[in-house]
Amino acid sequence: MSTTAPVRERTEQDDVVAEPDVPWVVIVWNDPINLMSYVVFVFQKLFGYSREKATRLMLDVHHKGKAVVSSGPREKAEFDVVRLHGHGLWATMQKDR
Amino acid sequence: MASAFKRVGKDRYRVRLSPQEVGVLRGLPEQLRSVLDASEPDPVTERLFPTAYRDPEDRERQEEYRRLVTDDLLAAKLANLELVVATLERGELHQRRWTVELTEEEALAWLGVLNDLRLALGVRLQITEDFDGVVAPDDPEAPAKHLLSYLGWLEEHLVEALTA
Repeated sequence: MSTTAPVRERTEQDDVVAEPDVPWVVIVWNDPINLMSYVVFVFQKLFGYSREKATRLMLDVHHKGKAVVSSGPREKAEFDVVRLHGHGLWATMQKDR
Repeated sequence: MASAFKRVGKDRYRVRLSPQEVGVLRGLPEQLRSVLDASEPDPVTERLFPTAYRDPEDRERQEEYRRLVTDDLLAAKLANLELVVATLERGELHQRRWTVELTEEEALAWLGVLNDLRLALGVRLQITEDFDGVVAPDDPEAPAKHLLSYLGWLEEHLVEALTA
């Protein structure tokens, strides 16, 4: 596990202006401090996910280093990122492509 | 060891700690406040107020995000601190155990403060691998690592109580 998430390399594609309806994804990255039980609790509290789904996402974060936890229009994704940051989770958002 | 947190009713939680533990906890809010009040960005504030937009092409959005959101996140963290400080003052000794009852809101504030403290400590200690709480006796950072371990134990119990 690492403390810094990889920065995606810049490609030609980045210069293309995205269509307004391109969905955004919210990604939570693994970190060495947040407790597994706490992360499950936060996913359930913020997104209303079942314990099973929240646990599955937490394990994805833990084992794969990251997981997409929500998606949608930019405003919705940003709202989710703000709440995740408010709970100390390491979340970023990017266009889904 | 008995659990430090217990649900005692709908949206009511009881905290029971030793006087020594409360002595440790009482010193922490001020430390977190000084971290939050830091005017210059440092690795701790970068962790407590993370970047939302990573893509270089979203740089302007990230600047706007930081401008619009940081104050709200900071205000929420400071409000959590106020609630925790108030409950630390409210608690009393009963049969040599320090006890206080928390509302749901206060319990969530404890959770937020414990987590912020642990994140700040983790960055200060440069912890990059999952921390299992094992500390070598000759480790110069042993006291801080023991504190991190203790706060993790407390937080684990609080999450258990909140989901019980």
